[in-house]
Amino acid sequence: MPIPELWAMDFMRRAFLAGLIMGAVCPLIGTFLVLRRQSLIGDGLGHLAFAGVAAGALAGVNGVLSAAAACIAGALAIELVRRKLPEAADMVLAVFFYSGMGLAAVFLSLNRTGGFSLSGLLFGSLLTVGPEDLWLIGALALAIVLFIALFYRPLQYLAFDEVCAQVAGLPVGKLNLLLAFLTALTVALSMRIVGLLLVAAMLVLPVAAALQTAKSFAATLKQSVAYGLAAVSLGLTVSYYTDLAPGGSIVLTGGFFFALSFVLARLRRKGRTVEQRCSVCGEEVAEERNEDEQAR
Amino acid sequence: MDKIINVENLGFDYGEGWVFHDLNLYIEAGDFVAVVGANGAGKSTLLKLLAGILAPDRGRIFFYGRPLPEFKEWERVGYVPQNPARQQKGFPISVEEVVALGLLSPQRLRGPLTAKERGQVAACLDRFDLRKLSGRRLGELSGGQQQRAFLARAMVKKPSILLLDEPASGVDARAKAALYQLLRQLNEDGVTIVMVSHDLELAAQAARHALCLDHGICFWGPAVSALTHHHRHGTFL
Repeated sequence: MPIPELWAMDFMRRAFLAGLIMGAVCPLIGTFLVLRRQSLIGDGLGHLAFAGVAAGALAGVNGVLSAAAACIAGALAIELVRRKLPEAADMVLAVFFYSGMGLAAVFLSLNRTGGFSLSGLLFGSLLTVGPEDLWLIGALALAIVLFIALFYRPLQYLAFDEVCAQVAGLPVGKLNLLLAFLTALTVALSMRIVGLLLVAAMLVLPVAAALQTAKSFAATLKQSVAYGLAAVSLGLTVSYYTDLAPGGSIVLTGGFFFALSFVLARLRRKGRTVEQRCSVCGEEVAEERNEDEQAR
Repeated sequence: MDKIINVENLGFDYGEGWVFHDLNLYIEAGDFVAVVGANGAGKSTLLKLLAGILAPDRGRIFFYGRPLPEFKEWERVGYVPQNPARQQKGFPISVEEVVALGLLSPQRLRGPLTAKERGQVAACLDRFDLRKLSGRRLGELSGGQQQRAFLARAMVKKPSILLLDEPASGVDARAKAALYQLLRQLNEDGVTIVMVSHDLELAAQAARHALCLDHGICFWGPAVSALTHHHRHGTFL
């Protein structure tokens, strides 16, 4: 069987592999973030990473290292402040988001020599992924998969009901810090390879699509990964044949999957509601059926 | 009877004056105590202090003779917060998953459920009449069914103490009666229950004792006497 044209080239194979790893790993960690109402943490950390790269360029330090340091410090600080203001998690994110932007602007204005590509940071360069980049993403993916496999259930408890998890004696603080640390590492290490836009979007879009239809936490996790892999495969293929930007194409495909899942879920719900209308008066009887089941 | 919960000179302040101070009480094993009082009287605060969610500003709480910071056997205590499902309305979690969360503890943190644990979850689903709903998303259920799922989560490890914060809120009248019947059954099986409620009439039908709070204890005695006192003098609520 002939190999499709886009698979025949080394750079496309590496781009697919890097993209698929990100497509699986980002929704894995993103599920816990979205359900804790921290959907924008990828963006917030991205801005801190941007500030880190700008500071690194100014100080002559490797951009990935300075971005990773800024992201990790930012993620841990966000987590510690969120603990003090649990009811305002989105506001805490916004504070760090704008502070990151402010810092980046200040560092950029101080830098007269350049030293990094803004477009490369935002949109990445999936088609220039080298073998060493693949090893880096592979190691990160392994760390995240191991973490989720080991602590899937306590993380689920934290996302669902942090207070009861605390009453049960779980190490809530440590688990939250570990999750924040891995999120920061994902954003910082993936930024140069796939771009901030793709990382932040892949943390949220596949999860948003899965949430429209999934009935359980396990199903949400599985469907998120499936949507992530599908968005990368389809987006990258479309990008190759239409000569569109690969990162943007993948993100738009993820957005399309969300729209599709949203519409299908509503259509299915509408159909079910019609079934549950009273045959005499036409009133919806969904709630009554629930109570009847309870009585049984 | 053993005094399994002991409260000594307890005081708590949110920073706007004492909610209560110098609160003293003990609860014996097998008791069913309804904590009643008007809004802001400190009912939920007392329960959160007992559950270790809040730390007292004065005084001490003992569980099985040990002061709370040293007490580590939280698997002996089940806790159901107020309106837990309403806080997480769109959360994608099945009834079975909710119940299974109750098995987690500092000693049992890693990895998936074992066959034995699956058996415990299945037995608990049966006990709380949730087997047919086990695969349903929690948000799709009625208030009464959701409350039963949270009770099942609190009871899956078979604790000897159950702390409940307004378990009947958001539940219709029929489901409320069934819920109190279930709580009475648990109490008859030996579970000590401390339940916050704003409905003294209903709570008195299930509870053995009533603790009426009004920035301190204003009544402590048999639940039926509390109800009679309330009817005569219109106090407490």
